[in-house]
Amino acid sequence: MTNPVSVSPEPSTATRIEAYLGALESALRGLSPDEKHDILLEIRSHITDSVAVSQDREAAAQRVLRLLGDPKELARRYKAERMLSRASRSFSPLLLLRTTWSWAKIGMKGAVAFLVALFGYSVALALTITLILKPIMPSRVGVWWGHGDLNVGMVDHPERMHELLGQWYVPVVVVLAFGFAVGTTHALRWLIQRRAPKQIY
Amino acid sequence: MYSAINSNGNGDRGQHWEAQLRKGCLEMAILASLWQSRLYGLEVLRALSEKSQLEIAEGTLYPILSRLKSEGLLQSEWVEAEAGHPRKYYWLTPAGRRRAREMAEAWSEFSTNLSALVQPILGAKTR
Repeated sequence: MTNPVSVSPEPSTATRIEAYLGALESALRGLSPDEKHDILLEIRSHITDSVAVSQDREAAAQRVLRLLGDPKELARRYKAERMLSRASRSFSPLLLLRTTWSWAKIGMKGAVAFLVALFGYSVALALTITLILKPIMPSRVGVWWGHGDLNVGMVDHPERMHELLGQWYVPVVVVLAFGFAVGTTHALRWLIQRRAPKQIY
Repeated sequence: MYSAINSNGNGDRGQHWEAQLRKGCLEMAILASLWQSRLYGLEVLRALSEKSQLEIAEGTLYPILSRLKSEGLLQSEWVEAEAGHPRKYYWLTPAGRRRAREMAEAWSEFSTNLSALVQPILGAKTR
């Protein structure tokens, strides 16, 4: 565990503890005020109890803060689980994207989930953008085939290529974009709901 | 069981495989420590280190307690202590008791099977 925040060369015990709790409080940003208050109260209580049993308050304080670990890391552990359990019940792409980003910072499973989210939602977004451009530039937006290449959207040289869908572009791409968005959301919920690491027993 | 694994006797860092074993048992150990009494965080830590040599860092324990509570396995309440500051006591919910029992049974079966496998390595040591 790395050393927690230190304020000045020789902080008193109380100052050091307050600095730690202050760093923890700001790292817990994002949680509801009630949850934050509860966590801070419990950690403060723990620190007080740990220091009280010892003769050497200074050493005891240093030890307990070291065992608690970097306040940002502690906050991350608190937040990760709450965020994940909230996301597992949500259908909001924005929440799922933010949650998988936090999850990715912790480990492999989260990183995979985040890449799925990024890919799936990017495709849905890109397709939706082409839908917006279609009525503006109808002859330039489409599904283009030429020189062994298939492109969805706009191409540099449409005159050299063959457009495949015509007026079917909008309905087909609506279904595709919707499919990618919904499919990604369900894939992410599935990944999050199965996040528990395999227990050894 | 734990003393068979911690063959070097001390409860410090240990090696990677040992850490993996401890992590897997952790949730079960926490639930087990609350089987007979309501405890607050520091007491859970003490119970774990006294009864099982499972030294867990405090920064690990509290988020897990929080998670177990949000999963409905634990319930908690704040109690004013004589010391002046309140303490958060935890206890098992019915779902928590069920989970603790399932884990303990699975663990017992697992360790019995594994002990049989490991018996030749331990030589004359009997359990």
